[in-house]
Amino acid sequence: MRLPSTWPRPAIVVASVAAALLLAFGWLTRPHTLSARDIPPHVPDPLNGERLFHAGGCASCHGAGLEGGLDLPTAFGTFRVPNISPDRGAGIGGWSDLDFINAMQSGVSPDGTHYYPAFPYGSYTRMTLPDVLDLKSYMDSFEPVSALVPGHDIAFPWSIRRGIGLWKLLYLDASFVVPVAAGQDALEQGRYLVESVGHCGECHTPRSQLGGLLRNQWLAGAPGLDGEGRVPNITPHADGLPGWSERDIVRYLKSGFTPDYDTVGGSMAQVQENLARLPDGDRAAIAAYLKSLPPLPDPPD
Amino acid sequence: MASFRKLTITGTLLFVTAGLAVAGDSPQEQRHELMEDTGGGAKTIGKMLEGENPFDAAAAMEALQTWAKVAGQFGDLFPEGSETGFDTEAKPNIWSDREGFDAALNAWAEAVDAAIAASPQDLEALGAAAGPVFKKCKACHEEYRVKDE
Repeated sequence: MRLPSTWPRPAIVVASVAAALLLAFGWLTRPHTLSARDIPPHVPDPLNGERLFHAGGCASCHGAGLEGGLDLPTAFGTFRVPNISPDRGAGIGGWSDLDFINAMQSGVSPDGTHYYPAFPYGSYTRMTLPDVLDLKSYMDSFEPVSALVPGHDIAFPWSIRRGIGLWKLLYLDASFVVPVAAGQDALEQGRYLVESVGHCGECHTPRSQLGGLLRNQWLAGAPGLDGEGRVPNITPHADGLPGWSERDIVRYLKSGFTPDYDTVGGSMAQVQENLARLPDGDRAAIAAYLKSLPPLPDPPD
Repeated sequence: MASFRKLTITGTLLFVTAGLAVAGDSPQEQRHELMEDTGGGAKTIGKMLEGENPFDAAAAMEALQTWAKVAGQFGDLFPEGSETGFDTEAKPNIWSDREGFDAALNAWAEAVDAAIAASPQDLEALGAAAGPVFKKCKACHEEYRVKDE
C-alpha cells in the first residue's frame, strides 16, 4: 500500500506508529477460548454440580433463583451481577457447554467479548472441565427468569472492555498458587476448593492497582472491595488465624462461630451458610489447607 | 503562680480524661463491653450444644439472662457522634438505616425473651431455644457490623 505522497514525513511516521500500536493492542488483547474438540466426553453429575454451586456461593451474588441484579460497587465503578438463570433471552439458557466453559474459565462471552474479572473466572480457570460441566447441569435445573439486568456502570478507561485482554495477560493464571506435595490428598482437595471454585482469594488476597491478585500475599487479608473495612488475613500468621485449630475452622464454616463464640458477619455470613451445605470432608479439607499455608503478615495499606 | 495553675488545670484534665478512659464511659466502649458479655453467654451455651461441656440448666439460664440484660441496654448506645472511634465495628448504616437496625435488634431481643420463657431443661430444648437467637446475632452482624482489623 502506498501512502499519499502529499503527507508530510512526520505525519507518516506518527500514523505508522499509531497503526502498529493499535495492531499490537488488538493482537495482545484478543480473547482466547477453547474449541469444541477440547471438551472431553463427560456424563454430567448434577449432584456434584450442586456441591460445586454451594462451594462457589453462586447464589450469594447471582441470587437464589440466579436472577442477578445485585450491585457491586468497586473502585472501578459499579458492576451489576447478570441473570444466569436458564432463560434463553435474559439469562444463559441458550448457551452450549463450550459457551459456559469459555465464560467460566477464560472470561469470554459467547459473542467473544471479555468479561470483567469481578466475575471471578481468574479462580474458576483452575476448575476441571468435568466439574464445570457438572455445575452447568445443576444450573440447568433452575427455573428461567425473564427479568433483564441493566449493564455495568464503569468509569473510563476501564469501560474499554478490550483492555481486559491486557489484564488477562498479566493476571489470568490457571496454575495453583500454593504447592502441595504429591499424595497429600486432603490438602489437594482443600486447595482446589479454596483456590478454584470457592474463590476465597478474590476477597482475602490483596490486589495490585490494576485489580490483579498478588500471589505472593496469598490470603494475607485485604481492604474490603466495596471500600468498607478489611477482609481478614486467614494464613496461620500472628496477624491471621494463629490460635485456630483445624477443628475451630471446621466449626466456623459449619456453624458460623469463632473460637470465642463471636458470630460470622458481613459478606462472610452468606459464604459460611453456603459452605455449611458441603459434605464434612470438604470443610475438613479447607481447614487442612488453610493451616498448611505459608504464614504471612497483613499487607501494608 | 500562673504556670502552677496551668499545671494544675492540665493535671486535673488529665485526671478526668484518665478516669473516663478507665471507666469506659463512651458509648463505643460500652457497646463493646456488652458484646463481650453476649459472647460469654454464647460460649456457655455453644459449648453445651457442641457436647464439649455437660448440660447445665442453671448456667444456661444465666447466659440467657445475660443476653436479656444486653438486649435492654444495647439499642440506646448508638447516639449521633458515636459513629467512629474506639475501634468501633459499628457500620455507618446503623445511622442511615436506623429503623432496620432497631428492627434487627428487636428481633434478637424477642428471640431471647422466647428462649427465657421456654426455660430449657434439657439439651434438645436448649438447642431449640438458642438456635433462633444465634440466627439473629448473625443477621445483625451481617448487615450492621464491619470488621476493620
